[in-house]
Amino acid sequence: MKKIHIVAILIIAIAFGVVMTSLSNNSTYATFNEAASHPDKVYHVVGKLDKSKPFLYDAQLNANLFTFYLIDNKGAERKVMLEKPKPDDFERSEQIVVIGSANGNDEFKAKDVLMKCPSKYSDGKPTETKTSSM
Amino acid sequence: MVGNTFVFLSFTAALLAAFAYFRSAQNDELEGGPWKKLGRISFHVHSLAVAGIMATMFYMIFTHMYEYYYVWEHSNNSMPQKYTLACFWEGQEGSFLLWTFWQVVLGNILMRTTRQWEAPVMATISLAQVFLASMLFGYYIFGFRIGSNPFMLLRETPEYANIPIFGMADYLRHLDGRGLNPLLQNYWMTIHPPTLFLGFASTIVPFAYAIAGLWKKKYGDWQVDALPWSFFGIMILGTGILMGGAWAYESLSFGGFWAWDPVENASLIPWLTFVGTGHILIIYKARQRGALSTFIFPIITFILVLYSTFLTRSGILGNTSVHAFTDLGMSGWLLIYLLFFILLATVLIIVNYSKLPKQPDEEDLWSREFWMFLGALVLVMSCMQIIVITSVPVTNKIFGFNQAPPVDRVGFYNRWQIPFAIIVTFLVAIGLYFKFKTTDLKQFVKQLTLPFVLAVVITTISSLVLKLTNGFFITLLLTSWFAVTANFFYWVRAKKANLQKGGATFAHLGFGLIIMGALISTSKKEVISVNSSGIDVGTKGKDFSNSTDILLNKGDTLRMGEYFVTYTGKERVGHDILFAVEFLHKDSSTKKYSSDFTLHPIIQINPQMGNVAEPSTRHFFTKDIYTHIMAADLTMKGEQGRDAGAEPGSVHTLKVGDTMFSSNSIIVFTKLERQIDHIKYNIDADEVAAGAVLKVIDVNDKIHIAEPVYVVSHNRIRNIPASVPELGLSFTFQKINPDEHTMDFSVSEAKHTEKDFIVLEAVVFPYINVLWFGCLVMVLGTILSIRQRIKKRKEAKKE
Repeated sequence: MKKIHIVAILIIAIAFGVVMTSLSNNSTYATFNEAASHPDKVYHVVGKLDKSKPFLYDAQLNANLFTFYLIDNKGAERKVMLEKPKPDDFERSEQIVVIGSANGNDEFKAKDVLMKCPSKYSDGKPTETKTSSM
Repeated sequence: MVGNTFVFLSFTAALLAAFAYFRSAQNDELEGGPWKKLGRISFHVHSLAVAGIMATMFYMIFTHMYEYYYVWEHSNNSMPQKYTLACFWEGQEGSFLLWTFWQVVLGNILMRTTRQWEAPVMATISLAQVFLASMLFGYYIFGFRIGSNPFMLLRETPEYANIPIFGMADYLRHLDGRGLNPLLQNYWMTIHPPTLFLGFASTIVPFAYAIAGLWKKKYGDWQVDALPWSFFGIMILGTGILMGGAWAYESLSFGGFWAWDPVENASLIPWLTFVGTGHILIIYKARQRGALSTFIFPIITFILVLYSTFLTRSGILGNTSVHAFTDLGMSGWLLIYLLFFILLATVLIIVNYSKLPKQPDEEDLWSREFWMFLGALVLVMSCMQIIVITSVPVTNKIFGFNQAPPVDRVGFYNRWQIPFAIIVTFLVAIGLYFKFKTTDLKQFVKQLTLPFVLAVVITTISSLVLKLTNGFFITLLLTSWFAVTANFFYWVRAKKANLQKGGATFAHLGFGLIIMGALISTSKKEVISVNSSGIDVGTKGKDFSNSTDILLNKGDTLRMGEYFVTYTGKERVGHDILFAVEFLHKDSSTKKYSSDFTLHPIIQINPQMGNVAEPSTRHFFTKDIYTHIMAADLTMKGEQGRDAGAEPGSVHTLKVGDTMFSSNSIIVFTKLERQIDHIKYNIDADEVAAGAVLKVIDVNDKIHIAEPVYVVSHNRIRNIPASVPELGLSFTFQKINPDEHTMDFSVSEAKHTEKDFIVLEAVVFPYINVLWFGCLVMVLGTILSIRQRIKKRKEAKKE
C-alpha cells in the first residue's frame, strides 16, 4: 500500500467524522410544542405572524426586546420574545423562522429571527407614475 | 420581437457549434476540416446573438420600456443612470446572461489559442452554452419549464395578467418600474457580479481541457495549457468573493465581512477546489504525476459551480438564507444541466480509468508534490464540511430530515474551519521550501528555523497585546505568521527579492495575511454598544445577555469602549436618512469632551421593498469602528406636525375582561369600578360616576393601572381621562352601551416622537486592514505568477 493511499484513507475517515459530528451539533426544526418539551435545547421554529395580536416594541423601555405572536406550522401559537430591536418591515414578512428555546411561561425566547419577505416576484402591483397625464 | 430572435439564434448557433466541433474532434485526420470551420462560424454567430440579446436588454432598460417584465421588475424612472448595469444583472435572467457572456469571451479567446485542442475544448464549451442559452427560453415543454425569458411582456406574466391597468390602451404612459432593490443600489453591485461570474465562467476552461483529454485519450498533454487558466480563474473568483465580503462589510448589514451565509458559501465552495486544481496541475507539470487527480479536480470544481448555482437559484435555501434568489422555475432545468455534466464526466473517467498513466514508484515523503497533494486534499475536506452544512436544506428535502442550520452560524463554521485553516496556512508556510522529487531535510530545517523562530516571537508578542487566550486561535495566529515570515524569507533568499519571480511567494504570503486579518478582526471584535450605564433597562433586561444594541436619545452621551458617543440629529438626503453619530473623547486633565469624528449610518426609505439600514464605518490604520442603526425614529422635523403629539384616539368597544392593544402595550379592561372617590376626581355628590380599571402591560411585563372615569350629571356626560405617561397613552371612557354590556374607550398614543432616538450597534474590528492588504498581496502575487508562467511557456516554445 502506498503512502498516499494511507493518507487518503485517513483523510476520508477524518472527513467523515467531521461531517457527522458537525451535523449532529446542528439544531433541528420543531414546532412550539416540541420545543416546549425540551426547554434546554435550541430549536428553529417556522411559522406565520399573528397579525391580529400586537407586536410590542418600545425602544425607550427596552431597546433589545421585541415581542410578537407566532403561529407555527401545526397551528400552535406562542408569544415570542426576541432579544433584538424590531427588524425593519417586520409586518411584511410572510414566513418567519425564530431561533431560540421555550421558557416555562408558554413563551418562546428567540435569539434570532429570519424573515422571509413576500417574494420579490409577487409583491407589489404595477404602479402609476405621478407624472401620468390622468 | 428582436430579443426573442436573438435568444433563439444564440441557442441554435450554440447547438450547431457543439455538433460541428464534436464532429471535427471525432475526425482527427481532417485538421482544419469543414466541421471545424462550421464550428467556428457557428460560435461566432452565437457570440453575436448573445451580444444582440445584451444590447436589446440594455436598450430596453435605457429607454424604460416597462411593458417588459424584466425592465419593470428591475428598474424605474427615478433610478440614477449609473445603476443601469446593475439593473441588467439584478435578475436571474440577466445574471445568467452575464455568465453566458463571459463564456463567450473565454470561448473566443480559446478558439484562437488552443490549437490542436480547439475542437474538443470548444465542443464542451459550446455544449455548456447550449444549456446557458436555453435558460432564457421560458418555454414549457411537456409541462416542464425551461428557463425564464427576459423579453416577456408584463401583461403576459401570470401574476399580473388581470390587472385593470392593461385594459387601458395607453397603459404604458402610466407605468413606472418597480426599481432596483435599494439594497443593491451600490457601486459594488456594478463590479461584484461581473467579477464573480467571470470567475465562475473560467472554471469551464480546465474542465473543458480535462474532458478533451479523456475524450481524445491524450491524458498528459493538456495540463500545461490549462494551468495559467486555472490560476487566472482562481484570482478572478477569489477577487469576486472578497469583493462580496467587502460589500457585505461596507454597506450591507451582515455585521462583518464574512457571515457564512449560504450564498457566500456557495461562492467559496468551488474556489477551494479550484485552488486545489491549480496546485494539482502544477504537480503534474513538474513531475507528470497524479494524472487521475488532474481530471478529477477540474471536473469537481466545474460541477460545484453548477451545484452552487443550483443552491442559490432554486429557492431551496429559502429558510436558511435571506439573500438567496427565489425559484423562477429554472431549478429543474438547472438540475438537468448539472446531472448531464456529472454523468458525462463520470462515464468518461470510468471508461478511461484503466488507461490513465500510473506512476511506477511512490512519491518521496519529503517531496513538494506529496505535500502539495496533501494540501489540496485538506482544501477538499474543508470544502466538504461547508458543502454538507450548506446543503442541509437539500438533504432535508431528499431524505425528509428535519435538520436546521447551525444556530450560531458564524461561530459554528469558524470552529470547524479553524483546524483546516491551521493545516493549510502551515503548508503554505513550508510548501515552497520543499523541492520536487526529494528535499534535503537538513537544508529544509535549517532554512525554516529563522522564519519559524521569528514567527513564534511575533506570535507571542501579538497574542499578549491582543490578549488571545484560545489555544486554537493562538495556533492559527502562529501558522499564519509563519506563512508570512517563511514566504518572505523564501522570496528574499531563493528568489533574490526579484519582484517578477515573487508570484507564488506573494500569493502565499497574502493568503497568510488574509487568514491572520480574519482571525484577529473576528475573534477580537468588540461590541462597544453595550449598556454600560449600570441601569437595568427593564425587568426583562437580566435575562437578555446578548444585548448588543443601545438606545441613544438625541443629545444623550453614552460611554462606548474608549469613546463617548452622542446622537446629534438626522437629515434626509434623497431616499436616505442620515443619522449623525458623534464620537468624542474626554480629556483626562481638563475633563472636557472634544469631538473625534462623526459617523453617518443610513436608513434608506423604500416604501415598496422595505427600509434598508446601511452601516457607516470609520477606518483607522489599526482598527475599524462600525456603526449600524437597528431601529430609529424615522419622522423628520417637517413631518412632525402630523406625526407627533397625540394621535386622534382610536375607539375600542370592550366588555369587562376584554383586551385591546396599543403599539407598545396590552390593555386589559379588568373591572368596572362603581365606587369612585368623588373628591379626588372633583365630582359633585349628585353626579353618577363609574371608573374603568385598565391594566396596561408594557413590553417588559410591567403593569400600569389607568382608571378613566365616566360621569353622568343632569343628562350631561363628562369624561375624566386617565393616562400612562411613561407609555404615552391616554384613555377616555366615552360611553356605556347598556344593552350590549359594553363600553367604548378611546385610546390615544402620544408616540415617543418627541424623543428622537436611535438604537445603535457599534462594533470595533481590530486590524481588519491586515485582511484587505492580504487580499491585495494575494491577487498581485497570482497575477505575477500567471505572467511568469505565460512568459516561460513562450520562451519554451521559441526554443
